[in-house]
Amino acid sequence: MTGFAARSKVAVVGCAQSPIVKHHDRPLGALAVDVAREAIADAGLTVADVDGFTTSALLPTAGDHPVVDGVSTVSANWLAANLGADPSYVTGFQGYGQLPGAVALAVNALMSGAADHVLVHRALHNPAGRYHGSAQQQARGAAQWTMPQGYFGPIAMIGLPTNEYFQRYGATREDLGAVVVEARKNGARLPWSHWHGSPLDLDEYLAAPLLADPICRFDCDRPVDGVAAFVLTTAERARDLPNRPVYVTAYAGAQPSRHRLPLHWPLDDIAEVGAATARQLWERSGLGADDVDLPQVYDGFSPFVWFWLEALGYCPVGEAHRFVSGGGIDSDVLGALPALSGGGALGSGRMHGVPQMLECYLQLAGRAGDRQREGARVGIACQASPHFGGAVMYSSEVM
Amino acid sequence: MPVPDEVSAPFWEAAADGRLVLARCSRCETFVHPPEPVCPHCHHTDPRFAFEPAPTTGVVRSWTVIRQSFLPGFNVPFTLLDVALDGLDDLRLIGRLAPEGREPPEHIGEPVHVVFEVPAGGGPAVPSFVLSEP
Ligand SMILES: [Zn+2]
Repeated sequence: MTGFAARSKVAVVGCAQSPIVKHHDRPLGALAVDVAREAIADAGLTVADVDGFTTSALLPTAGDHPVVDGVSTVSANWLAANLGADPSYVTGFQGYGQLPGAVALAVNALMSGAADHVLVHRALHNPAGRYHGSAQQQARGAAQWTMPQGYFGPIAMIGLPTNEYFQRYGATREDLGAVVVEARKNGARLPWSHWHGSPLDLDEYLAAPLLADPICRFDCDRPVDGVAAFVLTTAERARDLPNRPVYVTAYAGAQPSRHRLPLHWPLDDIAEVGAATARQLWERSGLGADDVDLPQVYDGFSPFVWFWLEALGYCPVGEAHRFVSGGGIDSDVLGALPALSGGGALGSGRMHGVPQMLECYLQLAGRAGDRQREGARVGIACQASPHFGGAVMYSSEVM
Repeated sequence: MPVPDEVSAPFWEAAADGRLVLARCSRCETFVHPPEPVCPHCHHTDPRFAFEPAPTTGVVRSWTVIRQSFLPGFNVPFTLLDVALDGLDDLRLIGRLAPEGREPPEHIGEPVHVVFEVPAGGGPAVPSFVLSEP
């Protein structure tokens, strides 16, 4: 493979985000069009300038919910058509690590010249009723190997590797609670967050009943309705636009390597492939963990924070729980690693990688207001599990 | 309950007789679970899986106690085990800990063996695990 040609060649030049709420009173598509218009204006552009659209439209949910474009999901094609754009490149990312995947598609489109300005959006819907619930009685296809045993849905899925971590490395619920308390502390400060003004203390966390040991409801991000949109263009074009560009330094995507039962994520798979994901990011960026000021780790389930901290090399494998409990990611401590300073998913709502990307963008563009972290130059926005998702590195400078 | 298909029918038939059989690729002779259209080990596109007797002992790699089920027909709590079968290093099964009400394991690495249980909601027998006496 030849070198990664896109380093610092593409920049994020604007963004917008809707409030993150339990249920919006408007169709998701209408909200998405408004947010897209706002992001385009924020970048100093008009709809006519935007000729590329990428997203990942995966709803996603494990339950029995219908998928209707413009209502429960918003594809790139739907958004482009309803914005009245005249695009030359429209596509969606199909894997996990949805937002890093959609950003990578945008970078590739800009590098190839397939588009000059690309809108990357993510629209998340919280269906009425139980998010993961299923009335399914019959297990066909892959589900026949796990559902008849009662192994079903993402909470059982994350319960197994989390308990594996607890048992191997001596982690406790207090340690997991420390992750959630940090995310909610940061999320409580964000006016757009579902949890604005609503931090969580450790006693509240520990009082919550378990769903699938050792996971309780506070370990799971809250399903929400919300839309975010970012505008990307070439570094060259970015120079003439109003906001300070935030460059895409590199992106990386995980490729699970072992054949497993559906939703089965053994801890060793997470660590092994996670390390490979991180290696790809370091190789493509030419940077290392120590060069990063803002590694925004993913936290759709709280233990992902440990898994990413270890995959990226901020702690030896098996040590992240002690690192976090010891204040290692406290965003208010000078010299600590502010890994959830953007509130993450636990502190913002189930926005699937948006809080991580938004924090990188706002901080590196100097647009974080009274939360601005002086001297932050390099960030990483992670999504999903390190062995199943992806990550994008951003920088305030051409690297 | 499971709906057997062309590929999986021998697994469920054997389960009904209380026997654990697993798919083995006839090209590379690797046990593969679950079977796929292409062998995940040798990537042969016509793996001609044969269901052969599999080890019925193994060790616990992890477990979780399900206290809220998102499916109908399950009494909670119940314990799910992630089990590595003896001699099949890279193959894992997930099954319930039997009998119902049994306390979860205390450590990773505890030995288990396969039993077959008819789920509370009815349907064909499924492989579960019992903690082996030391
Ligand atoms: Zn094979």
